[in-house]
Amino acid sequence: MIPHSQIIFGGFLLSVVALVGAALWSLPAWSRPGIFFSVTVVPGFRGTTVARQLLRSYRIELLAHLTISFALIAAATGRRAVELLVFGMLWLVVGPLVAISRAHAKAVPHAVAHSTIREASLAPRSTHLPGGWLLQSAPFAILLVAAAYLAAHWNQIPERFPVHWGINGQPNGWSTRTAIGVYGPLCFGAGMVAMISALSYGTSHAARLIPAEAGAERTASPGDRIALVLIGVEFFLAAMFSLAGLLPLTGSPGAMSILVLAGGVIVFAVLLVRWQSQGLAAHAAAGHPGDGTPDACWKLGLFYYNPDDAAVFVEKRIGFGYTVNFARPAAWILLLITLLLPLGLAVLTITNQRH
Amino acid sequence: MANTRTLRIDLASPRPVYEQIVSGLRTVFVSGEFAPGEQLPTVRQLATDLGVHHNTVAESYRVLAEEGWLDLRRGRGAVVLDRREPKPITATKHGFARRLEELVAKAITDGVPRTALASHMAGLAKKLAKP
Repeated sequence: MIPHSQIIFGGFLLSVVALVGAALWSLPAWSRPGIFFSVTVVPGFRGTTVARQLLRSYRIELLAHLTISFALIAAATGRRAVELLVFGMLWLVVGPLVAISRAHAKAVPHAVAHSTIREASLAPRSTHLPGGWLLQSAPFAILLVAAAYLAAHWNQIPERFPVHWGINGQPNGWSTRTAIGVYGPLCFGAGMVAMISALSYGTSHAARLIPAEAGAERTASPGDRIALVLIGVEFFLAAMFSLAGLLPLTGSPGAMSILVLAGGVIVFAVLLVRWQSQGLAAHAAAGHPGDGTPDACWKLGLFYYNPDDAAVFVEKRIGFGYTVNFARPAAWILLLITLLLPLGLAVLTITNQRH
Repeated sequence: MANTRTLRIDLASPRPVYEQIVSGLRTVFVSGEFAPGEQLPTVRQLATDLGVHHNTVAESYRVLAEEGWLDLRRGRGAVVLDRREPKPITATKHGFARRLEELVAKAITDGVPRTALASHMAGLAKKLAKP
């Protein structure tokens, strides 16, 4: 008999697979109208039979990878096999990447010459934080409120409390009532929010601005939409780490809080799809301005490498958001920081746990 | 005003990119769209927006600084200068007139209508007449 907690955990992971699958399913439709699987095509190409066949074949491959990942995760939660779980999650990442690269290779023969015209605005750029100081500081305020609540109820915190649960739903990591033990997750959360905030500032100020879009409606600028998404991520992280930070008082992550977080993610995903469709309509109205990157520099359709381009951040050609120009040393430094900072904070928090 | 302050280059043109940037910015300065003391985008920003290497933009800014259009003092960015018009030597004046005539002849050869050319040049003359 599989314990109730294990079913919830398995259900949560499988929902993640379903959500990632839904996003990957619609990802190719989120690119600029003149781009199809990272290849410059004629604007009406997506409506052609060839494009539809290519998309269908990508989605079949994607479904196959998702099914394998789904099966591995389901088997892992049933048998309490962590290795199988890691393998299943890894498949969820690598499988779709392979499907995208294969679709890119099939789309390359349909490429048309990309525009060699480049335009830049000479007007000064805004130096404000995306969303403004008030919106950017709200996630930190959420974490501060959680910290104040913990401080006010310090005496009710047990000397030893669970902070980590295994695949079987049983606690397997504990912390003690010390400053770092109690406030550690909130500090970790603040570090993560600060990192996302810095990334948001960096992308909005250092990414390429295309003049044809700069004067268009707010929803038309990819940079603005991405900044909004990053603010959403900051709020999500603040809520998640506040809930984690309150564990010494609440005892376990309640089903209700997980449901609220999951509901927030779904509402945000729906809003994101709406913004993106409005943005794509605006791109079409703006006469399909390109993204200013040559096709040949998109390796496997996923990784941008162009030593002749000063840009560190470039718009993704598949899906939504920014990726980095791997030819720029600053991009590697940034990648290292975004990997090492969460890792360092996680190690600091975990080393405080007792097993 | 802000929308007219754009710079356009063609990466496929046989003319080097740095020259296209110099020429584009010079045109903007001559038309008076930038007041003395105004700042241009930083080298990195303009290179990012144009999708070119920052050395290319840096070279263009250096050429414009040598011509007296820009002040590139460290820490201030690229500031537009109030450029005193130099007195041209007679040979330069004659050379320019010949080059302009050649350019007009080439445009007519390439099919640009004479009326369009005349109207464009009249517009240009009007712009130049402004102090």
